[in-house]
Amino acid sequence: MGSIPVPSRWKCVATAAGVAFASMSGVIGPASADIPESDNPIKIAVNEWTGQHISAHIAGAVLAEMGYSVEFITAGALPQFQAIAQGELHVQPEVWTNSVSDIYPKAIESGDIVNLGLLGLQPQEGWIYPPYMAEKCPGLPDFNALYECTQAFATSETFPNGRLVTYPADWGTRSKDVVEAIGLPFTPVPGGSEGAMVAEIDSAIATGDPILIMFWQPHWLFAVHDLEWVQWNDADGECVEETQTREMACGFQQATVDKIVSGTATEEWPGAVRLLGHFTLTNAEHNHMINEIDQNKRALEDVVQEWMGKNQDTWKSWISASM
Amino acid sequence: MPTSPAIAGSAGPFFLSAKDQKVLGWLAVFLFTAGCIALSGRIAWLGSYPEVLILPIVEWINQAEDVIVATTKPFFRAIAWLLDHPMTWVRDILHWLPWPALMLFAGAVSYRAGGWTLALFTVLGLGYMLVIGYWEEGMNSLSLVAISVPLAVLVGFTIGIWGFVSRPAERIIMPTLDVLQTVPAFAYLLPILILFGFGPVVGLIASVLYSFAPMVRNTIVGLRNVAPDIIDSGLMSGATRRQLFWRVRVPTGLRQLLLGVNQTTMASLSMVIVASIIGGTSDIGWEVLSTMRKAQFGESLLAGIVIALMAMILDRVTNGLATRRDETAGGQTWILRNRFWVIALGATLAVALVGRIVPILMTYPETWVVSPAGPMNDFITWFVVNFQPAIKEIKRISLFYAMLPLKIGLAQTVSPFTWGFVWTGNHMAITVAGLALLAFAGFRKFGVNAAAAIAIAGCLFLFGITELPWPALVAVFTMIAYRLGGTSLALGVFAGLMFLLVSGAWEKTMLSLWLCGIAVIVAFVAGSALGIWAAHSNHVSRIMRPVNDTLQTMPLFVILIPIVMVFKIGEFTALLAIIAYAYVPAFRYAEHGLRNVPNDVVEAARSMGCTPNQLLWRVKLPLALPNIMLGLNQTIMYAIAMLVIAALVGTNGLGQQVYIGLSKGDVGIGLVAGAGMAIIAIMADRMCQAARRRLEAPDQA
Repeated sequence: MGSIPVPSRWKCVATAAGVAFASMSGVIGPASADIPESDNPIKIAVNEWTGQHISAHIAGAVLAEMGYSVEFITAGALPQFQAIAQGELHVQPEVWTNSVSDIYPKAIESGDIVNLGLLGLQPQEGWIYPPYMAEKCPGLPDFNALYECTQAFATSETFPNGRLVTYPADWGTRSKDVVEAIGLPFTPVPGGSEGAMVAEIDSAIATGDPILIMFWQPHWLFAVHDLEWVQWNDADGECVEETQTREMACGFQQATVDKIVSGTATEEWPGAVRLLGHFTLTNAEHNHMINEIDQNKRALEDVVQEWMGKNQDTWKSWISASM
Repeated sequence: MPTSPAIAGSAGPFFLSAKDQKVLGWLAVFLFTAGCIALSGRIAWLGSYPEVLILPIVEWINQAEDVIVATTKPFFRAIAWLLDHPMTWVRDILHWLPWPALMLFAGAVSYRAGGWTLALFTVLGLGYMLVIGYWEEGMNSLSLVAISVPLAVLVGFTIGIWGFVSRPAERIIMPTLDVLQTVPAFAYLLPILILFGFGPVVGLIASVLYSFAPMVRNTIVGLRNVAPDIIDSGLMSGATRRQLFWRVRVPTGLRQLLLGVNQTTMASLSMVIVASIIGGTSDIGWEVLSTMRKAQFGESLLAGIVIALMAMILDRVTNGLATRRDETAGGQTWILRNRFWVIALGATLAVALVGRIVPILMTYPETWVVSPAGPMNDFITWFVVNFQPAIKEIKRISLFYAMLPLKIGLAQTVSPFTWGFVWTGNHMAITVAGLALLAFAGFRKFGVNAAAAIAIAGCLFLFGITELPWPALVAVFTMIAYRLGGTSLALGVFAGLMFLLVSGAWEKTMLSLWLCGIAVIVAFVAGSALGIWAAHSNHVSRIMRPVNDTLQTMPLFVILIPIVMVFKIGEFTALLAIIAYAYVPAFRYAEHGLRNVPNDVVEAARSMGCTPNQLLWRVKLPLALPNIMLGLNQTIMYAIAMLVIAALVGTNGLGQQVYIGLSKGDVGIGLVAGAGMAIIAIMADRMCQAARRRLEAPDQA
């Protein structure tokens, strides 16, 4: 696998930070040979999900190859922004920009957190269903079919409406906004937490119960179950969730997955920050490794080592570009 | 509670008798309620509290927080820096110790505290941690507890002494403790994070904040309850004030103090999982959270059991040390007197040194790890698939016939789909008339209180707690408080409800109240019934004890996944999760109360020819009633505490607000929601206490 280009067909407008990334390597200053600049460990945040473990550990492994000492610190996905802004954690290579706390934009503005641009994962968010639902509702995957087969998705709690499991309430109200905007006869039920949502899907598929649920990928769940996406009209420009109509329904604004470092890291380890600017991973790589770890029960370190072995050319080219 | 004129109390300030006043008071409240309901369609502000009257309390908190952070951050950071070191040391020591050495030492301490059985239990518990593959994570969690408990005990003891010497201080301390223990820790996690910075220290601080309260309470009780003659004899032998305190009061109250240590330890351990939301160490709590995120029920249960076992061991050991009789070992020198500890420490050190050399003793080989998680997950799936129709029916019936009516009222619930017919004005008229008759019958037979209870239940069922106009609810709650505890309680409840209104938390609070209310009723009835059964059967008691212990000490995140698998995301699942946690105190207090009924009373009743049924209902239960009421009180507290965790399976109440605050980084939202929960909890607690006082001394009611 050679160098991985930033995906060109991006559904939403690239963020300003993402554009800035294109010229990143030029911004930071002349390449220096005295790497590592400091022996202090670079603290990399490790969140609660396997995909992020992979991104974090590969980034760490490449940094270690460059001679940096790295340390992995478990950090909650929301508290971590506080820690990165204050320089207590330094690197988080996989940030989903649709689930950041209010601290994040403020910290970007003040320079306490620096966005290094896209990781290369192409996230998708929307409503999913297992294939057997297409039998009960033949018009799927087109979203228009949902108006006709509300009954197929109805439960005793939501009758006569269909039941739609949305993101937990603290992740925002996007599904509810879309339901209201396009007048869909579905009742949104907040999912509570990722674990509850996964359990719900597992249980529905085991029993053949109806289910329509807001979800995202890359996620290991897609390696375990066969799941389909509800299809929307193409967005005319940026898709705005609150103001679409049934005729112009475009679904959801798609997120980006960015790499961020603390402001202090750009001063202490400019070489490492340059490297992270080059660092990319793809959906395919991610899904494969997640599956190896979560389903085939291999150790994270093994899988990361295997990637390092197979992709020497790739990461060596990142290193030489950053020296 | 049955009331007769004799209990009704002293005459009021008016010429009406006390009983007439009571009747009129209730009548006024219900007329007011009826008026509110009738007019709520026409007057908008009756239906929902007007938004212009909501004060921007959330913004005030956030502004205050900005100022506090800006001025005091270096100070708090310094504390965090100071605390970080001992934590790292303890963690390093625990990781340095080979596992057999720690087992040996823990076993020795347990032997000292509770004999061979406890020692065996401890070693087996630690063995489980090892075999299942969570040793390292377990040590990280243990290091948090090992620092937080001494710190919390120190803080608690100091504040306790202050409260003991100064009554005014006590008057400030006690309500503060109530707030600290009822505001969910999730709500103050964010402010702590901002003040102290990221890392394990945040968990430590949260844990200390949550767990020092029982130490304060026990210190005050322990120091105060020293018998006067002991003090006198101390004075007579010429003790100075300082000697009197340290040599007489503290040793005499030691047992109570150690009880405080025990409770503090348990509280601290229960914070392990909350602390790991922040992250910073890979401990057991983190393991539970990560596996829960993946909905791996088996794995998360296995990790949860580690915490439960740790809690049980620490509980038994600290309890054992607290109640142990001091048998002073004979011997002249210090070494001889303490030979047990000298030998235990020596052996530990020896094993440790050997263990450092032999690799198997240092780290348990990974290939020996046994994990039955796979079959456990398969079992849940099998259960869901095979019992689906029954599961759906249970859920449907509970939703249509109990949960929905109480939430939104019968009029909105009944439809051809739910109850099989259309709700009309006639249905309403008949139901209201029936309820009125029932209330009247209750009044004739049992008195005002019964009639009021019937009327309140009827109102809730007909109109639903979220649909009832707020002035009516405020009036009803205030009236209940007045009847139970007089003017001061009524004023307190009124003030609390007004805070909920002006802070804009009313609607969310009613949703929480609805969920909690149903959960408390079910948990209390089921828990008490089981407790009564256990009081009569040693078998049941023995089987239920570990189940109860586990449910109380295991992080409840773990049971959420299987309940979701079975009952799907939603409020019904949240309800079940709350019940599973909150029934335990009802069970325990009922069993305890019944078992402690004096034997001679039971014998006397039997010799008078009581049947077992009469014995239970006429003799034992009335005698155990204060204890059962205490169980109700605790059940309410537990249910409210569980609200935040239940929000993880999809609820809409205050619990969810706490997470929204956390995810937005908005301190104000979280704290207002937390305050809302604390207010419900404290109000419920005071009402229960007042009810209990009336039960214990009915003549002065």
